[in-house]
Amino acid sequence: MVEDTAGVRADVELRLPAEGAYASVVRTTATGLAARLDFTIDDIEDLRIAIGEATALVIPVADPGTDLTACFFFGRATLRISLETQAMDDPPLDTESFAWQVLDTMAQEVSAGPASGRFSVSFTVKSQAAGRTTGVEL
Amino acid sequence: MSVDNTGGETVVTVTEVAFDEAALTGLEQVRARSADLFAVLRGEEESPASRAVARDDLVHLHLSLVEHCARRFRNRGEPLEDLVQVGTIGLIKAVDRFETDRGVEFSTYATPTVIGEIKRHFRDKGWAIRVPRRLQELRMQIGGATGDLTQKLGRSPTPRELSEVIGCTVEEVMEAIESSHAYATLSLDASDDSDDGPPAMLATLGVADANIEHVEVRESLKPLLDGLGEREKRILLLRFFKNMTQSQIAEEIGVSQMHVSRILTRTLAQLRTSLEQD
Repeated sequence: MVEDTAGVRADVELRLPAEGAYASVVRTTATGLAARLDFTIDDIEDLRIAIGEATALVIPVADPGTDLTACFFFGRATLRISLETQAMDDPPLDTESFAWQVLDTMAQEVSAGPASGRFSVSFTVKSQAAGRTTGVEL
Repeated sequence: MSVDNTGGETVVTVTEVAFDEAALTGLEQVRARSADLFAVLRGEEESPASRAVARDDLVHLHLSLVEHCARRFRNRGEPLEDLVQVGTIGLIKAVDRFETDRGVEFSTYATPTVIGEIKRHFRDKGWAIRVPRRLQELRMQIGGATGDLTQKLGRSPTPRELSEVIGCTVEEVMEAIESSHAYATLSLDASDDSDDGPPAMLATLGVADANIEHVEVRESLKPLLDGLGEREKRILLLRFFKNMTQSQIAEEIGVSQMHVSRILTRTLAQLRTSLEQD
C-alpha cells in the first residue's frame, strides 16, 4: 500500500517493536521532524493525532513479536508517513473504526490495508506555512 | 467514627446552641457552633473522647465548605467526588492546625487549605507524568506568543517562529508542547494491554441504539392493536409476550389449537395489511 513511495528511499526510517508502548516514540519522532520542517503548531497538533490513530490501526493487527517500521518522506511543505508491520493473516482494514475515521479526517492521501503478509497505513500531512524556507535541505 | 456511644451528648449541644441563638442567621449559627466545638477540642480538661467527637463534628459542620470549594474545580476532568474527598483531607488538616486565638473565623482559615489540597491533587494526579516547573512556565509563554503570532501571521506559528520570539531553542518549544500533552496521552482506541484493566475509551462510547427503529413500528402498531377484539388481543399477548405455545393457549382459552392457529394467522395478516396501508 506504499506504492506511491515504493522504491524511494525514506528520508527517515524508524524500526521498533510493534507494541502500544512505542507508539509515543513514533509520535515524538514525527512531531520532531515536523518542527524541523517548519510545520505550524496546528499542523503538528493534527499530525500528533493522526499518528496516534495510525498506530491504533497498525499495532493491534501486528503479529506478536514483530516490528513496526515507520518511514518519513519529506516533500515540499509536506510530510508523508508510512507505518508498516507484519500481519500474515492479512487482516482487513476496518473503515468503520474510530481510528480510521479520525485519520481520514486529519490527514491527506490516506491509504491503508493488508498486502501479502504486511499491513500498512500511509498518509500525508501538509504545512500551512508553505513557501517559507525550511531549515532542511531537500 | 466514635460518635455512637457519646452521640447523645453531642446532639444535646446542638439543640442548646440552636435554641439559645435562634435569632442568629445560619452562617452565624455555624460560626458559634464552630467556636463552641473548638473550645471543646482545645480544652485542657476535656476527655480525649469528647475532643475526638468535637473534631468529628467540626469536620462534618464544614463539609459544605469543602463541597463549595470542590465545585469550583469541576469540569476539569476529575470527578467531583474525588475533589470532595481530597478537599475533606484539607479540611481535617485545617481543623487540626487552626489556632482559635488568631482572631479569624475558621472558614476564613480553612478555605485556602481546602483549595490548596484540591490544587495539589490536580498537580499530582491530573498529569500523566510530572512536568517540571520550567516547562510549565515555558508552556505559558508559548501560549501567549502563539496568540500574538497567529494574529500577526494569519495562521498558527511554527516552532521556529515561537523560539525566535521567546528566545529559546526549537527543541525547548517542542519539549514544552510535548509536555502539555501529558494530560491526555492516549488514542481513544488504546487500551492498557492488561486483561483486568479498564476497556479502551472507545468501548465505553455509545452507538446508535439498534432498537430505535422498533419504536416507529411499535408506535404504528399501537392503534391497530387497540382496534382488535378482546379474544384476538389476548391470544397475541399469550403467544408473543408469555411465549405460550398454540396448544397451551388453546387450553387456557378453551378452544381447539386449530382455532387458535386460525385466529393468530388472521390477526397477524390483518395487522400487516393495516400497517402497509399506512
